[in-house]
Amino acid sequence: MENICAIRNLTKVFFVERTGEYVHALDRIDLDLNRSEFLILLGPSGCGKSTLLFMLSGLDHPTSGEITFTEKSHDNKRLTCTVFQEYALFPWRTVIDNVAFGPEMRRVRKRARYREAERYIELVNLTGFETRFPNELSGGMRQRVALARALANDPEVILFDEPLAALDAQTRRVLQTELVSIWSKTKKTFVYVTHSLEEAVLLGERIVLMSSRPGRVKEIIDIADIPRPRSTTNEREVKVLAMLAEHIAAEVDKSMRREREL
Amino acid sequence: MTVRSTIVVLWRYAPIFILLAAWQMASELKFVPDSLLPSFFDVVHRWLEFLADGEIAKSGTFLWDAVRSFFASTVVTNTAASMWRGMVGLGLSIILGVTLGIAMAWFQKLRDFFEPIVMISYPIPKPALIPIFIIWLGLGHISKIAVIFAGCLIPIVISAFNGARGVDRYLIWSARNMGTREGKLLWRVVVPASLPDILSGIRMALAISFILLVSSEMLAAKSGLGFLIFFLGESGEYAGMFAAVLTITLLGFFADRAYLTIMRRILIWREE
Amino acid sequence: MAVSDTQAVAATGRSGGLAVPSPLVILKKYYSVLLLIIVWEVVARLNLVTPFLLPSVSSILKGVYKATLEADLIRDTALTTYRALLSFCVALVIAVPIGISMARIRVIHWFFDPIVSIGFPTPKISFLPIFILWFGLFDRPKIFLATLACTFPIVTATYLGTMGVDKYLLWSARNMGTSENSLLRKVIFPATLPQVLNGAQIAMPISIIVVIVSEMLMGGGGLGNYIMVAQRFADSVSVFAGLLVISVLGYLLQKILEKVRALVLHWHEETQHESK
Repeated sequence: MENICAIRNLTKVFFVERTGEYVHALDRIDLDLNRSEFLILLGPSGCGKSTLLFMLSGLDHPTSGEITFTEKSHDNKRLTCTVFQEYALFPWRTVIDNVAFGPEMRRVRKRARYREAERYIELVNLTGFETRFPNELSGGMRQRVALARALANDPEVILFDEPLAALDAQTRRVLQTELVSIWSKTKKTFVYVTHSLEEAVLLGERIVLMSSRPGRVKEIIDIADIPRPRSTTNEREVKVLAMLAEHIAAEVDKSMRREREL
Repeated sequence: MTVRSTIVVLWRYAPIFILLAAWQMASELKFVPDSLLPSFFDVVHRWLEFLADGEIAKSGTFLWDAVRSFFASTVVTNTAASMWRGMVGLGLSIILGVTLGIAMAWFQKLRDFFEPIVMISYPIPKPALIPIFIIWLGLGHISKIAVIFAGCLIPIVISAFNGARGVDRYLIWSARNMGTREGKLLWRVVVPASLPDILSGIRMALAISFILLVSSEMLAAKSGLGFLIFFLGESGEYAGMFAAVLTITLLGFFADRAYLTIMRRILIWREE
Repeated sequence: MAVSDTQAVAATGRSGGLAVPSPLVILKKYYSVLLLIIVWEVVARLNLVTPFLLPSVSSILKGVYKATLEADLIRDTALTTYRALLSFCVALVIAVPIGISMARIRVIHWFFDPIVSIGFPTPKISFLPIFILWFGLFDRPKIFLATLACTFPIVTATYLGTMGVDKYLLWSARNMGTSENSLLRKVIFPATLPQVLNGAQIAMPISIIVVIVSEMLMGGGGLGNYIMVAQRFADSVSVFAGLLVISVLGYLLQKILEKVRALVLHWHEETQHESK
C-alpha cells in the first residue's frame, strides 16, 4: 500500500478568548493516509475530527507536528479539496460553472474546463442540470455538485466534513451508495469525517476512532475486507457497529462526566 | 470607566480627532481661506459664545442668573425649539403608527382599507410635503410638527404591521390554548413579539424626523437649528454656521445612540 | 430551502404564466384609494375648503397636463432625475470599494468606522449651506451633498455584506487554489452583491430627498424648485401637481432599481421564488 500522506505528532491548541483558556483540540496525532483508501474519522462532537480535516486541507495550521504529502502542491496541482456539510456552492454560478471553478482558477481554457466539468457532472448523475442555479436544487443535488466540483480539481485527497449530515434519511442512503461507487471509479483517497456509526461501517475501509478533549487517535479499525455492498443488518457489520457503539458511549460518558466536574 | 476602556474608546474615535486636527491645521497653515473654512477652534469659540449670549434681566443672584442665561442662549433656545417640534411630531406618529399598524394586522377589514393607501404614500419623498403643510398650517410650529408626523407615520405603520403579522403562529396558538382572551392576547403576545420590528421602524423614523426637521426649519422658520444654520449662512457668519451644523450633527448622532441603547435594553430577551 | 429531488425535477417543466388582474379585482383592492380621491374631489368641488387649501384632483391633473405642455415640468423633472441619478451612481462607485476594503483591511476599518458611525445617523441636509459655500450655487453642491448622503447606507450595507460572506464559500474557494485577487472578484464581490443592492435601495430615496430639498432651498430648477416657487405664488394647483410628479418619479426610480436587482440577482433565491 502506497503511503501518500504522513501525519506526525500533530497538535493543535486553541485559545478561547471568552474563557481565557487553552483547549487541546488535537494531541499528538500520528496517522498515515494510503493511496485510494476510504478513511473514516469517527468520534463524538468536539473530538477535533473537523480540526484535523482543516489541517489536512491547509486552511488551518498545526500548533506543532507535521503533515507531509509525498507529492508537492503547485499551481496546477491541488493536494486536497473539501466537501462541506454546508455545500458551499457559489449561488451566483450555475451547476457547470460551479464545477468548472477549480479549473478556471488554474486558467484552463473555457472549452477544456467545460468538457472536464461535464465529465464530473455525469459522474455524479447530474447531467441535464448544468444550467441550474444551486438555489433551484435539492440538498442532495447540491451535495453532488459540491462533490463534482471537488473532483474537478483532481486532488490527491478529497476531504469530507460530515457531508450528508444535513440531508434526510432517504437521500442520505442514496448518496452513500453513490459515494462508494464514485470512490471506486475515481480511485481517489477519501477522508471522511462523520459522527454516524452506520455511515462509518457502510462507507469506510479504515475507521479512525477518536477520543475527545484532547483529541487523540484511540484506535484504527480495518474493515476493508468486509465485502460491498454493505448493509447494517449483515452479521459482520453488526459486530463492528456494536464495537464502535461501545467506544463512542464510553467517550460520551467521559466527556459528560468532565463537563459536570467543570 | 477604567483606564483601559478609556484608551479603547479614544483609539476607536482617533480618526475623528485626526480629521479635526487636519481641519485646524488646514486653516492655520492657510491652505484654505477662512471665508471658506473657518478654523475648528474659531467654530468652537463661536459655539461657546452662542452658549453664553443669553440676554436676561439680572436678578442679582449669580447662580440663578447663570442658569437663566444658559436657557436663554442661542444654542439652547434653538435646540429646544427644534427638539420640541421633533419630539411632538415623532411621538404622535409613534402612537398613531403603532396602533394603526397592529390594528391592520389584526383586523382584515382595516388592512383592506389602509394597505393601498399606505402603499401609495410610501414612495412620496417626504420633504416635498413641506410646501403643502405650509399652505395648510402656516409658518409656525404646527406645520413642522405636521410634516414630521406625516413623514414618520408611514414607516412606523409598515414596521408595526409587518411585526404584528410576522408573529409566530405557534405563539398565538399556544397562548389561545392556554386560555388567553383575545384582548389580552393582543397586548401580552402580539405587541411584545412585534416589538423588534416596531423599534427598528422607529429608529428609521427618528432619522427621517431629523431630515424633515432641518429641511423644514431651513425653508421657513423663525427659530430652531435649521433656521439658525440658514440664517447665519445667509448673513455670512460662517464660523457660527459651522457651529450650528456641528450641533445638529452631534444631536443626530447622540439621539440615535441613545435610542439604540434603550432599544437594546428593551430587547434584552432577544438573542443576537 | 431544500426541495426534494422529485420536487426539483417536477419544477423543470414549469411554465410561468403571468395572470393580468381584471379591473374589478383592482377596483376591489384599491377601493379605499378611490374613495379617498372621490371624497377629495367632492369636497373641493363643493368649495367646502378654498381651492387654495385643497385644489380638486381634476384641477391638479389638469395642472400636470398644462405644465407638461409648457415644458417647464418636463425640464424640471429631467433636471431632478439627472441630479438624483448622477449622485446615486457616484455614491455607488465611491462607497462599494470603501465598504469592501473596510471589511478586509484593518487600518481602513479603523479609519472609516467612527466616521461612518457618526455620519450615518446625522441629517446630512444640514451641510447644505456649507456645500453652497464651497461649491457655488449650481448643480455641484446639490450633487455632492446627495452623493455624500447616499454614501453612508451603501458603505454600511457593503461592509456588513462583505463581513457576512459565508465562510464556507471562502474556505472552499481557497481550498481550490484561488488567488486573493480572484477571491475578491469571483467570490467576495458577487457574494456581497445582494447586500450592496440593499444599500442602494436605501440610498435611492435618500438621493431624491436630498436633491429635492436642495432645490427647494437653492433654486436652480428641478422639481423641488418648482413646488417652492409655486408655493410662493400661492399656486396650490402647481404645488400639488409637483408633488404628484415627484412621487411618481420616486416610485419609478424605485421600481427600476427593483427590476435591476432582479436582473442582477437572477441566481438568488428571492428572484427564483418569485418566478415560481
